[in-house]
Amino acid sequence: MRYKVRELTDMQNSALKEIINIGVGNAATSLSKMIKHQISIDIPELRVEIIEKVPEAAGGADKVVSGVIMHVDGDINGYIMMLLSEDSAATICKAINEEEDTDIHTPMNQSMLEEIGHILAGSYISSLAEFLTLDVKISPPMQTFDMLGAIMDQILIEMSQNVECTLFFDTVFVLEGKQMEGILLTLFDPMGMDKLLGRIDEMT
Amino acid sequence: MIIVGMADSAVAKKPEKLTTLGLGSCIGISLYDNRNCIGGMVHIMLPSVENARAKDNRAKFADTGIPDLVDSMVKQGAAKHHLTAKIAGGARMFSFSSNSNLNIGERNLAATKEVLDKLRIKTIADDTGDTYGRTIILDTETGQLTVKSAQKGEKRY
Repeated sequence: MRYKVRELTDMQNSALKEIINIGVGNAATSLSKMIKHQISIDIPELRVEIIEKVPEAAGGADKVVSGVIMHVDGDINGYIMMLLSEDSAATICKAINEEEDTDIHTPMNQSMLEEIGHILAGSYISSLAEFLTLDVKISPPMQTFDMLGAIMDQILIEMSQNVECTLFFDTVFVLEGKQMEGILLTLFDPMGMDKLLGRIDEMT
Repeated sequence: MIIVGMADSAVAKKPEKLTTLGLGSCIGISLYDNRNCIGGMVHIMLPSVENARAKDNRAKFADTGIPDLVDSMVKQGAAKHHLTAKIAGGARMFSFSSNSNLNIGERNLAATKEVLDKLRIKTIADDTGDTYGRTIILDTETGQLTVKSAQKGEKRY
């Protein structure tokens, strides 16, 4: 491994942030189009976290969330997750269904949340890939409601076999002026991070 | 209430409670000495330290985390032959076809049972497997283990 996520230069850090912002911006645009409501996703903060601390950093291991997980593979391997609090998931479902009240656990709403995660992650990853001219694909999404720690521990276990730390960023979803708690989380393996940062170094 | 994090462990005496949150394919092992009212909990992520790249955190692995927990309980006054185990977790949350770690929950469970057998500690409650997350709480006053889940309610062992 050439790069260590703990030892990023300011230049690499801000380039990464910029790329993530472009990706997240594109993701928000595609989502807005799909649900026909204005969604923006606020600038993420980039952090480096020890794998074991990720559930706490993401809001607490026992917090019940709607999680959509996709596997990323190609030039970069890893995972991308969309985690929404139950309230946020309900807000989105209500907006799309144009309902006063909704049950987020219905199969219809579950597959809708799954598709939203897929669109967000898909446009995010493809803009990242396009910008860095990398070949990256994402798997079909898997959705579940459960405790945040339980949703992500399988992935953290897999990551922890290769890395100690991971890049972590928070996002805030804003739906028509209302702030919603939500997290788009990417975990890339060390080889993927090497490629990503290598490309950034070539460009700067 | 003492919170045991991921890949972490702790020992407590009556009337303290120990908890670990959001177990998916990880396993929460709670040990209890009912004579001395001493409890211990470890939240393991992987079966064995053997092939791990980073071996620093011994609480991360079943084969080091559990024996270490027993040692620190004994140091704090527990008697090894009075210890019993209650375990939870080891679920299969997702299955990705490209994923080689498919059965990490099952592997963690097998390793946990093997380590407990080797230590001659009897497992008296086992709430493991399936596809949902669990939070566990051990009451060192009674030795009761409460298992909470997001959608399957609460159970007491």
